Amino acid sequence: MAVLIFGLRVNAIFKKLNVIRVRLHVMCSLTFFVIVLLISCSTNQETAKATIVWKDRKAVSVSIANNIGRSPENIFIRLQGTSGSDFPASILGEASIENNVIMFTPLIPFTRGMHYEIFSGKESIVTFTVPKPEASEAPKILAIYPTQDTLPENLLKIYLQFSQPMQEGKSAEYVVLLKIDADTVKGAFLDLQPELWNEDRTQLTLWVDPGRIKRDLQPNKRLGAPMQKSQGYRIMISQKWKDGQGASLDQTYSKSFITVGRDSLSPMPKSWKITVPKSLTPAALLVDFEEPLDHGLLDEVLQVTNEKGKSTPGKWQFRNEEKTGLFVPTESWKSGTYDLIVDTRLEDLASNNVNRPFDRDITKSEKREKNQDFVKILFQIK
Amino acid sequence: MKKMYFGLAVLCAGVALLANTNRFAEAKYGFKVGTPEIKSISALTFGPDGVLFIGDSKSGMVFAMDTKDAAANSSAAAVEIKNIDQKIAALLGTTAENIMIQDVAVNPVSKTIYCAVQSGDGTPVLFKIMGDKIEAVNTKNVPFSSLALNNVPSEDAKDQRGNKIRVSAISDIGFADGKVLVSGLSGQQFNSTFRSIPFPFSDKQDAATLEIYHAAHGKYETLAPIKTFTTADINGKKYLVASYTCTPLVLFPMDELKPGTHVKGRTVAEMGSGNQPIDMVTVKKGNESFLMMANSARPVFKVKYKSIEAYQGSLTTPVEESFATAGVDFVSLPVTNVIQMDKLDDSRMILLQRRSNGSLDLWTSSERYL
Repeated sequence: MAVLIFGLRVNAIFKKLNVIRVRLHVMCSLTFFVIVLLISCSTNQETAKATIVWKDRKAVSVSIANNIGRSPENIFIRLQGTSGSDFPASILGEASIENNVIMFTPLIPFTRGMHYEIFSGKESIVTFTVPKPEASEAPKILAIYPTQDTLPENLLKIYLQFSQPMQEGKSAEYVVLLKIDADTVKGAFLDLQPELWNEDRTQLTLWVDPGRIKRDLQPNKRLGAPMQKSQGYRIMISQKWKDGQGASLDQTYSKSFITVGRDSLSPMPKSWKITVPKSLTPAALLVDFEEPLDHGLLDEVLQVTNEKGKSTPGKWQFRNEEKTGLFVPTESWKSGTYDLIVDTRLEDLASNNVNRPFDRDITKSEKREKNQDFVKILFQIK
Repeated sequence: MKKMYFGLAVLCAGVALLANTNRFAEAKYGFKVGTPEIKSISALTFGPDGVLFIGDSKSGMVFAMDTKDAAANSSAAAVEIKNIDQKIAALLGTTAENIMIQDVAVNPVSKTIYCAVQSGDGTPVLFKIMGDKIEAVNTKNVPFSSLALNNVPSEDAKDQRGNKIRVSAISDIGFADGKVLVSGLSGQQFNSTFRSIPFPFSDKQDAATLEIYHAAHGKYETLAPIKTFTTADINGKKYLVASYTCTPLVLFPMDELKPGTHVKGRTVAEMGSGNQPIDMVTVKKGNESFLMMANSARPVFKVKYKSIEAYQGSLTTPVEESFATAGVDFVSLPVTNVIQMDKLDDSRMILLQRRSNGSLDLWTSSERYL
């Protein structure tokens, strides 16, 4: 209050000299007053103010205005309501000081929705709350692969594509396989720890329990295959699944499909249908796989090379429920002989790869070609 | 360079003499002081002289770090910490549902327990546990070296041979005979890579990449990923004892695991259905050694290595008992819901167990479990 009175008095003296300046001073004084009032409301001590520092939507640090020369070594942060001998003296982190501002960086970012209390020694100086994520920040599922709604009964892999990095280790809790008009299929997915995420934690690979699909293994004999042919199934993904920032999915997701018989045959690149574009055009090379192939592998197993074996620059796109590949060259085609090179790691939906089926009956004498790293398919551009 | 190493060695020797800490590790293992860019900690194991190997699934790397924790401790005290997840969460300023304990490993020299934790947002933190004290391990400005498991894809297809399977998740890591053993899973292919990497890491990266086949009942031959493994001497020969995601227990002679080879393992047991192997260790009581195996949906199994030795040939006849397991005999211990397990000394283990009351406890098993 003294500041305000002092401010008005000073301004009153200047009033006679310069009206504009006086108004400005009044405003400054009022602003100062309001700030002082706000700080004294939120803290026990003067001039303590906590500001959260954000990076990639994470509350990575908190800065503490320090006008009375507190030492960073004496700064402790606790979850609110956790004082006492049963709790740690401070959460783990590093405190530093620069330009009279103390910065505390915890070992892991502050958790969304939690309340923290900052101490200088034993004295509580300020509290802060890390806001929960907004509803607009909710993660989404962008795609569930395979996209086809007719799948082999021995389907092995399902890919979930998320819009944001998700919390790991939760798939067993939040993904279920339902038999339509019946119950949950128990133990359908392999509970694998660590889970199979891509590097930025936006794509998860789920395996339908391979021990139950493989013929004659104990899980297969005891529990049977998770899915049977000519049945309807639904994969449900719970809305409760949270992203790295604690925001739940925007909705429950599901994918329904019906099953057909077991696929025990390897993909056969030699029988793919290739539609060849004309030379001097940038048109796409069209490859019809004649069956849906594995989404996760398609992106990295195909390339086009010219007569000299040099890779042709361009981009692959996959359409028609992963049954068709389009190769769009960066430059127009030149006439000549090309090779479509297929890495034999390529798998179909039941994990039969180009070289070998998912499980092979070794008591049957099948004619087997020698395993190769690549299959080449020659085509001419005219 | 040689001069520098010599200098470092002298310096390390001096420090070691004065402080009785880790000797020569820095110079010996080609470590450089710096801050390893660890993006995740999926698996931990110890090498010699307090060197900790960290399997980082997210970046597809293995880090070797000098923990400077190499003072020998021949009589490790039993550790018991109740609600360890809550205690670690409180240290991190959060609650237990926002953290995951990824792995625990005992330093075989100092007997200190190391514990890898990941927060909900994916930040990894390494802790060490001594008695009832839980401390964060500093990973900044430490002596370390690293090795990338995934080669950068080459434009020339021929160069991609041999190391084609990209590791998305490191399922287990071990150290035996001067080599770091890493089993990896691929997010794309249903396959396994098992690498035996000479340590100290060299620039050449002459890692052995193996595809492993196992024959179920001698009829079907399939590829499969390894979930967890250990090494053991059986009849005077070193073996890799691997447990698969689809439960068979398979033996591979260590001397056959060479770069570029396809080794066919001998399936000695199937550990039942609806279950996942979690961790395996080899422990001893007197002259007898045991394979201990923690499981996701079964109690801890104890298998005598003697029965594995006696069990010759592959598993050929299925066992028809209800929920039976086939092959070598084993005993189920009265311990369920073990999430992590490691060897504390020859006859004791540390176990991270979810108790029936919901509490996640770290405790030490006594010899009477063997």
